[in-house]
Amino acid sequence: MPLPLPWPFEREFMQLALLAGVLVGLSAPLIGTFVVQRRMSLLGDGIGHLAFTGVAVGLLLEVWPVWSALLVAVAGALGIERLRAQGRASGDLALALFFYGGIAGGVVISGKAGALDANLFAYLFGSILTVTRGELLAVAVLSGAVIAAVAIGGRLLFAVVVDEEWARVAGLPVGVLNGVLAVLTATAVVAAMRVVGILLIAALMVLPVASAQVLARSQRGTLWWASGIGVGSAVVGLVAARQWDLAPGGTIVLVALVVFLVVSQLDARRRLGVVARAVRAVRRGPVDAPDPVLAGTIHADHRHTHEPDPHAHEVHR
Amino acid sequence: MAILSVEGVTFAYQTEPVVEAVDLRLDPGEFVALVGPNGSGKSTLVRLVLGLLRPQRGVVRLFGQDPADLDDRARLGYVPQRPALAAGLTATVEDIVTAGQLARRGWWRRADREAVDRALEAVGLSDLRRERVASLSGGQQQRTFIARALAGEPELLVLDEPIAGVDAEAQRRFRESLVHLVERGAAVLLVSHELGAVAEALDRVVVLKRSVRFDGPPSELAAAGVSLGVHAEDLPLWLEGIR
Repeated sequence: MPLPLPWPFEREFMQLALLAGVLVGLSAPLIGTFVVQRRMSLLGDGIGHLAFTGVAVGLLLEVWPVWSALLVAVAGALGIERLRAQGRASGDLALALFFYGGIAGGVVISGKAGALDANLFAYLFGSILTVTRGELLAVAVLSGAVIAAVAIGGRLLFAVVVDEEWARVAGLPVGVLNGVLAVLTATAVVAAMRVVGILLIAALMVLPVASAQVLARSQRGTLWWASGIGVGSAVVGLVAARQWDLAPGGTIVLVALVVFLVVSQLDARRRLGVVARAVRAVRRGPVDAPDPVLAGTIHADHRHTHEPDPHAHEVHR
Repeated sequence: MAILSVEGVTFAYQTEPVVEAVDLRLDPGEFVALVGPNGSGKSTLVRLVLGLLRPQRGVVRLFGQDPADLDDRARLGYVPQRPALAAGLTATVEDIVTAGQLARRGWWRRADREAVDRALEAVGLSDLRRERVASLSGGQQQRTFIARALAGEPELLVLDEPIAGVDAEAQRRFRESLVHLVERGAAVLLVSHELGAVAEALDRVVVLKRSVRFDGPPSELAAAGVSLGVHAEDLPLWLEGIR
């Protein structure tokens, strides 16, 4: 029985889609925040491609593709993390190997399973409008795990992504935390698989975070903004998809993209404003500089003579 | 008991030793600078002290334990050489400094706000606590990382090149915060290739050029004709004269 909600969520399939969208819109940017701060924005893509192999394995073995995708994605994420920790994934090459291996393996195995058809499209491009109650439960469990883990261990993950060496000296279990981050990324990827599709998962991990980085100042603010924009994009994307009969996965990502473009324009204007203020301040002389922070920096960094500071002339936001 | 003791430590990344037969001792309440030119093995010795590397010969003891197996890591504070921040890192000064409490209080307890406030006060960043770290100057970022170490209220603070590129005013503030820590009974090991305004507060200077070339009070070093940058702002330390 559908809940008595107004259009466009009056039908049960839309209500299931709404719940799935909100859960994924919340969890993917949450873990994405840490992935982006670690400068591994492509990690979600790499794991997504591996999840494709996992789906194909599920189709071949006739088990639920969500579980086989989770298994392969978690194993792959730990493999990528291992390479990164050994300093071998610093180039893009290691990730590229996972990309190609994942897609090629997925195509070959699903071909073997005789499943290179529209069924596979639901995983590649998402099919949120056909999410069943069982699938919604899986999405809820996976997203819930990610949200809970970030709520409980977010401070530790933050300390490690900011400065791994310091975290090691401080006695934090850096290896375990990196593994946890990899596993959570894989979990979020599999949760998002049916919503936006394997090929667009990473967008939902990266785009809301990129917007949040413009809007927020603090770590907590980034997490709130990113998940808020993720949820907003999912809901608006669903409504637009229903209204104009669009592919919902792609629409959700396009909404997140538009949000980012608008936000980054705001940021560009703000930066121009800061530059203009700084120029005016320099013309007037430093005494009545309007921005105390900026002015303080100019004074402070002018004096030292050795090792010119690479950050000294950074523009203040 | 010594807070830190290094006895006959030798370490080589490949065949040529980077540090050789080094002895070093720090007692509670001592403020010691480890100085030496670039490539003299300072950073390697720091990594040995912190337990990030293991010596091939000799023994390092931190609070009487092997540094790699130290039980209570909160006793050790560390300020790394200016860490590379992710370009888009959205974190405030306060976020970074609060992380310094993780070792002492664990992730399950709330951070001690007062310790964070004291650390921010000590480095003069109270007014900038809600600013983004990425938007600060290099010197202010460095002070943020010093405050992160102070927030853990360590018994030994190890700082790797903390004053490189920091202006004289910030150096004075920095010296005061270290002296304050030392007065409370903590030991400070400051690693640098220049000492600037900090020189006058030191108990001992250790000059490293692969092995220890000098270990004594700064006045003796000055008598040997080596400038520690006491006389002028930011005067570099010319160690090449030391044999």
